[in-house]
Amino acid sequence: MTTRINPNRPSKIAAAGLKRIVLTAPTNLQVPHQQKPVRTKKNLNASYLVIAHSERGTLCDHALQTIAAAAILADAETNVLALILGELTEDLANVGADQVMVMPELDFEHFQPELELANISALIESIQPLRIFIPDNHTGDGDLGRRLIAHQKTKTAVTQVVEMDVGHVATYQAGGTSIAQTALPEITLLVANTVDTHLPFTALAQRSNQAISNQLTSNSYQDLGMQTIAATEIALEEADFIVSAGNGVQNVATLESLAHTLEASIGASRVAVDDGKFSRDKQIGASGKTVSASAYLAIGISGAVQHLQGIKDCRHVIAINTDASAPMVKRADLSVIGDAEEIMSALITLIAEAKSANLKVAA
Amino acid sequence: MNIKRIAVLVSTGRHPTSGVPRHCRNDSLALTIGIDLSHSDAAKLDVLHAGNANNPALMDYLALGADQISVIPTEPDTDIVDSLAERLGDTDLILTGSRAENDQDSGLLPYLLAEKLNIPIVANVLEVRQIGDKLEVLQFFPKGKRRRVAVNLPAVIAIHPLAAVELRFAYARQLQGKIHSLSTPVDRNQATSIMQWQIQQATRKPNKLKAQENLTGHERLLSAITSENKGGTVVNDGNSVEKAQVILSYLREHQLITF
Ligand SMILES: Cc1cc2nc3c(=O)[nH]c(=O)nc-3n(C[C@H](O)[C@H](O)[C@H](O)COP(=O)(O)OP(=O)(O)OC[C@H]3O[C@@H](n4cnc5c(N)ncnc54)[C@H](O)[C@@H]3O)c2cc1C
Ligand SMILES: Nc1ncnc2c1ncn2[C@@H]1O[C@H](COP(=O)(O)O)[C@@H](O)[C@H]1O
Repeated sequence: MTTRINPNRPSKIAAAGLKRIVLTAPTNLQVPHQQKPVRTKKNLNASYLVIAHSERGTLCDHALQTIAAAAILADAETNVLALILGELTEDLANVGADQVMVMPELDFEHFQPELELANISALIESIQPLRIFIPDNHTGDGDLGRRLIAHQKTKTAVTQVVEMDVGHVATYQAGGTSIAQTALPEITLLVANTVDTHLPFTALAQRSNQAISNQLTSNSYQDLGMQTIAATEIALEEADFIVSAGNGVQNVATLESLAHTLEASIGASRVAVDDGKFSRDKQIGASGKTVSASAYLAIGISGAVQHLQGIKDCRHVIAINTDASAPMVKRADLSVIGDAEEIMSALITLIAEAKSANLKVAA
Repeated sequence: MNIKRIAVLVSTGRHPTSGVPRHCRNDSLALTIGIDLSHSDAAKLDVLHAGNANNPALMDYLALGADQISVIPTEPDTDIVDSLAERLGDTDLILTGSRAENDQDSGLLPYLLAEKLNIPIVANVLEVRQIGDKLEVLQFFPKGKRRRVAVNLPAVIAIHPLAAVELRFAYARQLQGKIHSLSTPVDRNQATSIMQWQIQQATRKPNKLKAQENLTGHERLLSAITSENKGGTVVNDGNSVEKAQVILSYLREHQLITF
């Protein structure tokens, strides 16, 4: 069926007296449309349960994607309940969580799988979710999800899900050589970046803190504590903060000193490595390493595609470059245009001041 | 208590492009750790595989130092968790890789086995050592984080691919080692799995899940224009100290530094 164009659409009279329709929003859409509709207002009796650990009060992108997935797949009668293990300071309305339940005591820093499993099993028993979604990561959720699958043996489950929709899920099998499909299972462990978190709706995200039960029949594990490896010793692929140098860095010593004050690992572009300024194992990019740091400081790097490939998983990219039209500036979340040497030196001084001010406050 | 029996579970892999059977690297790490532990503890080491005894991939594990591999014969519908569990009743320590390279490679087997045997499991383990009657392990977390955990024995330990273990292949040991087939249990356990798989060559890219949106032409046009505009803030003005201050504030605002 073809819809007839409204003859009363905004128009202007062109030179030859011809009427031309102007391309603007139809009037009924000019009401502010940042107010997204709530996904569902029905009385919800069935639910989809999403389980994820928080870190420093927030969820990682992977966990947010998993909640969004549940919200996209849920129908109007289904409630999306996000169970967050650990503190939560973030609002989950825009990823579609209708209800948010927080168990602050079960944070990922502490290894208490039996306690987690006992409390989650009790919750599952009481709300009987239709489906359960968990991010398949290495920060506790993948482990918890597999424990849950082993424990709830009657439920269908698929791990490492790389594709899903209402009808099916898919996962790589046989060492990644084949892709296997099956119907949407009751428990889904989802791989990162398989969901677009841009949603046309929002949700109420009604929050409740849930007291946990500490009753355990056995205690087989003893947590001896978390430790963090020094930035200088950690492999680049694992680093959380990288200061990276390109052809625009003249003075390697300044860069090293900046990395040291920021407690960051050092990376480099291929040109900087070829020049002999850095060892080959520091090279980031298509023919070097792929990194996934939370912060990537690209200093004097133009941002050739081969380099950008290596940093596609970095969350915050900050560029220092003399050229405002460099491709890196388009990729970066923040770019400062100026000389690398000068800005690095200024940054080192500022950080030193900030640190000593902190010490004084603490003393 | 000393560890008296260690079992290492090995699966088989294939070269991703040539398809030539080979060891699964994850499982080789577990095997090497198992061999080292069995020497220092004078424990008996069992290397177990559920599958086909004639698979040439198993030779790699002999070359890596397994004296003998015991193979539990399977049919396509055998429940390998049950078959393995039957042989592991009096084992103190069960070592596995974290993900196989054949069949479903879901990384679930160690968990299912631990549940079946009702013993604890620790996954993503980089290092293992015995302290008193417990096992102390180092667990991998991304971004340079590690956690130490003590776990009661018997336990299942799944080794992480980044475990700092050097694999030492020796052809002489491959010739010395033996692969022997265990008898099939009289009442074979049939898999109870209800999953129906439809399997294809992995030639296509997986599709991303997106929310359905009913956009008008105008909105679609708008979103096409705005998504182009992805670049972040660009700071041109100010002297270098002011510019450095902008970077510092950004790092603070996003909690990337603590000072
Ligand atoms: C097959 C292939 C594989 C490749 N693999 C990789 C790879 O893995 N990794 C990789 O990095 N590259 C790789 N490259 C090379 C890549 O194409 C680029 O040549 C390289 O990344 C450019 O490095 P650069 O940005 O440091 O240098 P340039 O392109 O020379 O850029 C230097 C930048 O610094 C800026 N600058 C100059 N002076 C200053 C100053 N004083 N202060 C601030 N900024 C300044 C300039 O404006 C410029 O943007 C590969 C290329 C090929 C063909
Ligand atoms: N057929 C098998 N025989 C013995 N061990 C296996 C077998 N399949 C998997 N495993 C072990 O279980 C681990 C995880 O496998 P999976 O759950 O299949 O990804 C592997 O790394 C192996 O140690």
